[in-house]
Amino acid sequence: MNIVDRLARFMVVLLAWAGLVFLTLPLVIIVATSFTETEFLKFPPVGFTLRWYQQFLADPSYLSSIWTSVSIAGIATFFAVVIGVLVALVISRSELRGRRALNTIFIAPLILPTIVIGAALLQFASAYGFARSFFALVVGHTVIVGPYVLRTVLASLERFDQSLEEASYDLGGNAVSTFFLVTLPIIKPGLVAGALFAFIISWINVELSIFNATAALMPIPVKLFNYVQYAVDPMLAAVSAATIYVAVIAVIVLDLLVGIDRVAVSQK
Amino acid sequence: MRIRNLWALILIALPLAFMVIFFLIPFLVTVVASFHDADGAWTLANYKKIFADSYYPGIFFTTFKLSLIATVVSFLIGYPIAYYIVNMVKSRGIRRLCYVLVIMPLFTSNIVRSFGWLILLGRQGLVNQTLVALGIIDRPMPILFTETAIVIGLAYILVPFMVLTISSVLQTIDRSLVEASLDLGSPRLSTFFHITLPLSLPGVIAGSLIVFTLAVSAYVVPAIMSGGRVVVMAMPIFDNYTALFDFNFGAALAVGLLVITLILIALYLLFIERGGARRIARQS
Repeated sequence: MNIVDRLARFMVVLLAWAGLVFLTLPLVIIVATSFTETEFLKFPPVGFTLRWYQQFLADPSYLSSIWTSVSIAGIATFFAVVIGVLVALVISRSELRGRRALNTIFIAPLILPTIVIGAALLQFASAYGFARSFFALVVGHTVIVGPYVLRTVLASLERFDQSLEEASYDLGGNAVSTFFLVTLPIIKPGLVAGALFAFIISWINVELSIFNATAALMPIPVKLFNYVQYAVDPMLAAVSAATIYVAVIAVIVLDLLVGIDRVAVSQK
Repeated sequence: MRIRNLWALILIALPLAFMVIFFLIPFLVTVVASFHDADGAWTLANYKKIFADSYYPGIFFTTFKLSLIATVVSFLIGYPIAYYIVNMVKSRGIRRLCYVLVIMPLFTSNIVRSFGWLILLGRQGLVNQTLVALGIIDRPMPILFTETAIVIGLAYILVPFMVLTISSVLQTIDRSLVEASLDLGSPRLSTFFHITLPLSLPGVIAGSLIVFTLAVSAYVVPAIMSGGRVVVMAMPIFDNYTALFDFNFGAALAVGLLVITLILIALYLLFIERGGARRIARQS
């Protein structure tokens, strides 16, 4: 390698790591400032205290928001898994006409602006009397997280050796037993990865929730959004840091489960 | 395993009904509402209002400008990361670490990510402190609540998408082409500019369109980073639905944003098709 190439390689490494630091810095800053002893946001933090975490854990409105978010994400993920598996099975294992159109309809929420989906849902829900309800939030979240499950399950279904399913039939299995004893165990890692993605996408969503949330029914990101526009203080950092810990755990689980590099290639 | 058509229909019935009721019909209801006035009579007034004066076209222009800059910035930051991960990292451990760092921001909400920049970009924030310490500026400059802040916030959100799209394109590039160029004595740098970069370009453009679509419809990031001082397209949609309660005009704005998005997606598909055709031509 000549000197110019060496220099170029060095520059790429430098730029790449600068970029990775850029991606990590805001999250690190939030976690660091959440431990500050000062009454205002300070970086680098002064001293070390857990009082902002205690303050937010003692506030029932935050706990109820977290609970709202977890229930919405849990229920929406469950529905998304059921829908995703059924649709993926039909797309990959049947000869039904219009399978491509089916795929487009179920994947569409991924590409269309979430804020428009949220507005449309509020418009529809107001016309039929369920605006700003838990039900509206759950169906909206199911719609937007569905594609994450469908995509990973579809990829898993199309990747594995279908002669395994045929063998099950030859051995006297029927469609149901073949699905539960052969297909499901094989697609499980993809399914779990998709479900994890779905849960997280719901857990961090603001743009859809914000239309159908109320003071009594407020997912945690919406609560943070309302708060951040009026005041920024270390308690906000503590709540935000708590959501970052959830993200860290989710990424680690994903890595242990299927290997983050494989997920990264299939998710974009 | 083959599913017979009857069973396929039975399996798909409920999921499809769900999507029709809670996804397709809400869009139809919104489109219809955009052509209605408050009393339910048919009208084009909502759309005329958008083009009545320069206010909404101005917002449209600002949104496109900021989204374009943010897309270019996220490409400039994302490409080296993707290139590094795909072509230079040898150990799987480090590659996994890189992907963890890329995906972790994707798993935190836009609020939290913007809040991080709120701390960083303040007058006493790390960015200003560093710039002053390095002697680049004399005293802290206002960055927050400006268009620059929106661009930084948007680019930050978009970089992970850029990295994932570009890295998946870089992986499909035939390594033997690169090796052939190196064997023929061409330096790595010119190999990159003559082989790798051109081959990855269709994917880059496709990725940029997706990222641009996300930027155009962003609401949370511009709202926080500008403190409401800069208005982008998503903001009046939200205001009309939740504060002004003018659902009909809100619907017209939402349909407008939807149409813009669909045009961008059509462009994206066009590039994917052409990229695909080119790949087939290369292989044959």
